[in-house]
Amino acid sequence: MIDPAGTHMRKVLIASIIFLLGASLLPAQVDLHTVEFQYAGRGVLVPKLGTRIEVIPILALIGAGAEYSRAAGTYVVAYGEKRLQFTPGHKLVMVDGKLLDTMDAPVPSPGGVAASLDFIDRSLLGPLGFRLDPIPQGYRIVPGARFAEPVTVRAAAADFAATTTLVLTLDRAVIAEAESTEDGGIVVHFDDASPRLDPGTLLRSRRVRSLTSNGREILIETGADIGLLNWHNLDDPPRVILELGRVYPTPTPAPARVVERSGPPPIVIDPGHGGKDTGAVARTGLNERDLTMSVARYLSAELRARGHAVRLTREDGEGRALTDRTAIANRLEAKIFVSLHANSSTFSSVKGAETYYMSLDDQATDEAAAATAKLENEAGASSDGRSDLDLILWDLAQASALNESAGLAVAVQTRLNALLDLRDRGVKQAPFVVLTGATMPAILVEVGFLSNPTEASRLGSAEHQQALARAIATGIEAFLSEP
Amino acid sequence: MNRRVFWILAAAVVSLALLAWVLFGPGRHAITRQDMVEGDAIPTPTPAPEQRVMLLFPGSDGLLHPELRSVPLPAEVHEKVRTVVLEVLAGPTGNLQPVVPWTAELTAVFIDHEGTAFIDLTAPPKPLTGSHNELMLAYGLVDSILLNCPSLTSIQILFGGHEIPTLTGHLDFSRPLVLNKRFIAS
Repeated sequence: MIDPAGTHMRKVLIASIIFLLGASLLPAQVDLHTVEFQYAGRGVLVPKLGTRIEVIPILALIGAGAEYSRAAGTYVVAYGEKRLQFTPGHKLVMVDGKLLDTMDAPVPSPGGVAASLDFIDRSLLGPLGFRLDPIPQGYRIVPGARFAEPVTVRAAAADFAATTTLVLTLDRAVIAEAESTEDGGIVVHFDDASPRLDPGTLLRSRRVRSLTSNGREILIETGADIGLLNWHNLDDPPRVILELGRVYPTPTPAPARVVERSGPPPIVIDPGHGGKDTGAVARTGLNERDLTMSVARYLSAELRARGHAVRLTREDGEGRALTDRTAIANRLEAKIFVSLHANSSTFSSVKGAETYYMSLDDQATDEAAAATAKLENEAGASSDGRSDLDLILWDLAQASALNESAGLAVAVQTRLNALLDLRDRGVKQAPFVVLTGATMPAILVEVGFLSNPTEASRLGSAEHQQALARAIATGIEAFLSEP
Repeated sequence: MNRRVFWILAAAVVSLALLAWVLFGPGRHAITRQDMVEGDAIPTPTPAPEQRVMLLFPGSDGLLHPELRSVPLPAEVHEKVRTVVLEVLAGPTGNLQPVVPWTAELTAVFIDHEGTAFIDLTAPPKPLTGSHNELMLAYGLVDSILLNCPSLTSIQILFGGHEIPTLTGHLDFSRPLVLNKRFIAS
């Protein structure tokens, strides 16, 4: 028997059940576009945008305040005393005043800003003291950063007669230990912290060549036969004090590339640029690299003829790092360092010679010298036999080099103006890389503008180059003859 | 009600119970859905009052010359820095030259607790030359910002998201630069 009413009822019932079952599946479909984060017994479903996740709900979950400046395009996150800044589309994050590189950039999103899980874990939650632990539903935010927090290290070195004291000042207290490596280097290990060298660090040392941060270590490259004599930690501020000095006899000859001095202290002439770096180029094709080399040769001949020892920082066509140039002068214990350059301007009318020396009022020079002396004093440097007088003399020597640089710059610029009837663009101060760290009177001479057609033509002539060399040499001699 | 209808109804009841357990069952944290951030997370900025700013641009004498311009200048320091930099990047209105000789964009502004602002510009498409161009770029930006944002002490210029040692092989860009009036025409 067919019961039409019963069949109809059955169809309606089946349709209703299918509707209910379908409706029950909807949340699961939405969950494909969200991920759950849990923290302290609370959870939040956060929208996903491809591989990125909305950031603001996660920060809100842990109680961090996030303010967005639409005009500046910057998010400022505050959590307790922690301050963090980041910008959508940008791979840098500022954490408590320090810039950190990140692997990828957050992006603008419907909810404000979205980022990869790695960015959220490593660059947002990590600096705030949290980490993400995966759970079946998503992630749990737990206290304790997964990644070692950065520690900023400011280095300062003081050379004494037989030893060098290297002071590493840390911006927070962490466990750090120093040891010698098998290859003769020195390494400082940091426990649960990623050292980051302060970009303003300037080393003025004959015995320390370079510092490099690598993971949780700082690698220290020293001069030949220089090693770690001893080390210790100090507090307030946290520091690692390393005493460096000669640890091995010197049976092996120095490598050919190492610059050694024989004879009296030379005048070191640095022809600017070199190798593939041509520097400024005139319309005539004359370039700064070749011009400075040519003037340097004339200047070298002129000074030698006047009885001075002279060394150049590079040979024809050779490239050399800016910091190496000053290092050569320091190693040779040069009495003067002169870096030669030729200029360029977007205004073709700009012309004239200029002489620069290191900024006296700039942070790099004064701070480095003052900080080293201060740190040395705090480190109790006199406890191992050196007197406070050594420190004072060292500090005075640094300041004296800057003051003497000013005198040298004036002496050279005055001769350039007088002998060549150049337009006086004057003596100026600026933080040039090649002058940084020089421990003797050091100047940078811009002999003229290659962007000015008339001046470029003159700079291309051997007579003009010789005249420039004579003017600079006369200025140097006048400076050296000053009481 | 026959057996078939009974099983269908039973399946429906089980499904509903399962759904209820998934959404509201024990062992679950109170989950809130965050589809969109509420409007108050991104506050609408109030219009900034117009103020005169002094911007520095290179002149034909090789020095920086001031140009006065009235612009809406926000009080918040990030926004103020951004406003000044964007005005500098927009270039001079008179016979002066642009500070940045390529079409640069400002991509980020950070400010640390010591009053140092870090501004990130898109990198130059080709190498620049000449210490003069480097100095005009550096102090055209640095002095313009510091003269208009007195709460700041120094500026570090980043390029393409990176700290760089130098731009043309002369000036040290690896650290913040302070106000240097020696390149401003008197």
